[in-house]
Formats: sequence, structure tokens, C-alpha cells
Amino acid sequence: MRRTIQWTVVLLTLGVIFSGCETKTTNIDIDNDKGEAVMALDYRDFQGAATDMIESLLASGAVDKKDGTRYVLVVSRIINDTMQHVDTDQLVKKIRVGLLQSGKVVVTTAVGIDGAEDKMSMKTREELRGNVEFDQKTVAGKGSMVAPDLSLSGKILQRNIRVDKKTQRVEYYFQMSLTDIKTGLAYWEDERIVAKRGSNKSVAW
Amino acid sequence: MRFIGFIAFAVLLFSGCSKSVEPSDEIVKVISSCGSSTIVVTDIKGRKKSDGFMQAQVSGENKSNSYMLLEYQVVWFDKDGFKIESLLSKWKTTPAYANQPFQINAISPNTKATTFRLYIKSDKEVICDEQYSGQ
Repeated sequence: MRRTIQWTVVLLTLGVIFSGCETKTTNIDIDNDKGEAVMALDYRDFQGAATDMIESLLASGAVDKKDGTRYVLVVSRIINDTMQHVDTDQLVKKIRVGLLQSGKVVVTTAVGIDGAEDKMSMKTREELRGNVEFDQKTVAGKGSMVAPDLSLSGKILQRNIRVDKKTQRVEYYFQMSLTDIKTGLAYWEDERIVAKRGSNKSVAW
Repeated sequence: MRFIGFIAFAVLLFSGCSKSVEPSDEIVKVISSCGSSTIVVTDIKGRKKSDGFMQAQVSGENKSNSYMLLEYQVVWFDKDGFKIESLLSKWKTTPAYANQPFQINAISPNTKATTFRLYIKSDKEVICDEQYSGQ
């Protein structure tokens, strides 16, 4: 009997101990996140870099078309040269949204470095043009697509530097260029650096 | 009895390892309108550029003997006083070196902006809350 009570107490104690060690899941307030920094790139780094890039681009006047119409932008190659699996859209999408909201730029999804981003524009033309099931007045006519004026390209670089036995520094470089497609000239370029210092045990990939 | 006492002690010991992920006091406190003794905003101005974007420039001075990393936010409003939602209205940081002036530059997210409101905070305390109206 005494042995049963002892085992019950032990099991209950273990339950209490392990439930206490569990990290609670909470939603992060992304507008006021004072959480610990991490050695890898997180959403705060992408948001900071994107904000700086949009501000720099709008302030430069490079997207101001003199006749008051909007420039058509195509997103070119954004190279991920880091040790992390980064979806470059984490950066580019924010920049695209910011530029679209500026009212100065519209982005084409019909052209892309690896083919159209949204293949539907071309597919509907190929499949619906001449198809008797569809009212041809509602099918996009020939020559109705708009070619891009500007191309946005960039690169994200990573450098790992060992400071001492315990410490390492990781540097991330966000580099972007805006090229005028007609002339091939880059009208705007900028770079933002995000640097982190932390334990050698932390893995930045 | 001694065994049960040991168990109770173990519970107390290990309960300390439960991690609190609740943020500490995140509510900012407004002290006064740019009335901090260490951070002084000396000038705040805005202009409409030829391309239609509004540009803001804030000048200030860090009167303390230590470097401060200030957080600031510029919120833009259209002519009817409605807030323009944008990524550009997120909190950003700017360095303020000891006993030196600092500048904050911002550009409006679109050409509809006519006024802006600036907040500067340091250590969760809003030390400046200033609105610039007009063009």
C-alpha cells in the first residue's frame, strides 16, 4: 500500500515537472516584437530591409515617370547567396507591394526570368482565342499586353566571420538594382547590411 | 515522510525552468510632446516634392552623454485626415550620438499624403509625439 502511494507521488511529480518546462505557444505581435534576435534571417530583417529599399527607391525619383503614367516593372533574378533556404519573395513581395501602393509603378506577372510568374495571361489567350464557347469580345485581343519598362534585380549575400573561440559574426547584404530595360542602365541601386554577433554554437543556416 | 519532502523540493526546483514567453510591459508611455530632457527635437518640416511625394525631415539633439538608439515612426495621413496604411509606417531606428544632433528623413508611401505624425521612443517611452500639418 505504502509502495503504491510512493509511486503515485513520483508519477504526479514527474508530470508537474515536465509540464512546467514546456514553452508556451503565443502569437507574436509583429508590430512590437521585442523577442530575442536570431543568427539567421527572420521576418524583422526582411521587413527592415524592404522598408529601407522602398524608401530609398521612392526618394530617388527613379520611379517618377514624367508624363504622369506608371512604370511597368518586371522582377528579374534575386539571387540567394546565403547558407539559408531563403524564399526571396520574403523581400521582393514587400518591395512590390510598397511600389504598387506608391501609385508610380505597376508590376507585370506576364513576363519573368524563368517564364511568366502567372501563366494564366498567356494560357487564356492560347486556349480561349477562337474558341466558340467564349464571347470573343471578352477574350484579350492581340497586342494588348504591356511590356515592362523597368527590371528589379538583386542579391542577398552572407558572410560568416569567426571573432574568437566563442563568438561569431554573421553579415547579410541586401543588394538591389533597378534597370531601365530600354537602355540597360541602372537608375537606382542600394545596399542594406544586417549584421549579427552571437555564439559560435548558433547555426546561421 | 522524508521522501515526500524531497519530492516537494524537486517540484519547486524544476518549476523554475518554465519559460515565460509573455513580453514584459510593451505599453508605451507618453511623457510629453518632445519634452524629454535628453532628446530634444529642434525642427520638424515637410515638403511636397515635384514628383508628388511628401518628404519629412526632423532634426534633433541628443543632450545626454551616451549614445542612444532611437526608435521612430512616421504615420502619414491624406488630405481628409485618414491614415495611409503602409510598410513605411513601421517603427524604425536611428542613431543619436552623445551630445550631437541627429536627423530623421522619411518619404511618404504615396502622393496622397499631406500631413504626417512623428513618434520617437527610447526604451518604450514615447519622448516625442509631434504632428506636422500643411505643405
